[in-house]
Amino acid sequence: MICPSCGHKNLPGDDVCRHCKQPLTAFDLPQPENPVEQSLMFDQVKTLKQNAPVTIGQAATIGDAMEMMQSTNVGAILVVDDAGRLVGIFSERDLLKRVVGNVADFQKLPITQFMTPRPECVATTDTLNFVLQKMDAGGYRHVPVLENGKPVSIISARDMLRFLTRLCREA
Amino acid sequence: MDLTRNLINETVSRLYPTQPLLVQRTSPVADAVKLMREKKVGCVLVCEQRRVVGIFTERDLLRRVLLEGKQLDTPIAECMTPDPVTVHPKDSISSAIKRMQKGGYRHLPVVIDDKPVGILSVKRIVHYLVEHFPTMVYNLPPHPQPIQPRREGA
Repeated sequence: MICPSCGHKNLPGDDVCRHCKQPLTAFDLPQPENPVEQSLMFDQVKTLKQNAPVTIGQAATIGDAMEMMQSTNVGAILVVDDAGRLVGIFSERDLLKRVVGNVADFQKLPITQFMTPRPECVATTDTLNFVLQKMDAGGYRHVPVLENGKPVSIISARDMLRFLTRLCREA
Repeated sequence: MDLTRNLINETVSRLYPTQPLLVQRTSPVADAVKLMREKKVGCVLVCEQRRVVGIFTERDLLRRVLLEGKQLDTPIAECMTPDPVTVHPKDSISSAIKRMQKGGYRHLPVVIDDKPVGILSVKRIVHYLVEHFPTMVYNLPPHPQPIQPRREGA
């Protein structure tokens, strides 16, 4: 990489210019070219609509979780410990993959046995491109939002789609 | 902007919708569940003489089978969502997104004259949108805070 201040030719990936010691890292950052990219790079997760997460205790059973998903009309619920910290996520996909047709009489079984432990999360201060990265690379439909280990919101693929299409319409 | 224009000009076929999984309307729910689990997908299309008559998704499994206390050998026609909203491969991507958002669907069957040719999922559309700004999404560090709490190495 050629240093913009002194013209010295550095090795690619150098953090500072070897000749004049000017930092070079800022030139590696992508530059936003349109309002959508601008928003993805700088808007934080808290700018999205906060969906109060549906949580359930660790002691709950699959039956409880199913009832809760029905009454709150969500596809994924967060499993928290006694202190309110996130320990796992239980979604319709877990139900399909691990429960139905695999085990008999599952209503009474504990949820911790079938949930996905330690899901990928984001913090409220992370930028939106991190949410998209996790969702797209990991193939997740729901990404929980944490603040000090406690869930404060949950972002679904449909929320992201709504946000992006609104941006496109405004742009 | 590119993306706004592409959403209107490009068609659903550009997204290469995944091959649909098909079941007969008389087959039991257990078959559909097994198929969905093996292929790792969230929905199957219910057909009668190669025409789509319904869709059966994870949500239907929860709502219409498990919570209603039905057995897994119930015919799928009793617990599917009949006459789902569909798209044609020549429809624009923005119209597919609109239909998906209007009904709050995650999956839309892609059909030509009622014959199933694919499934379009919300994740596929999010992936398509992400492809328009790869540097913003893919060129990211594994952790958002780049500063290490302590010095690396010995």
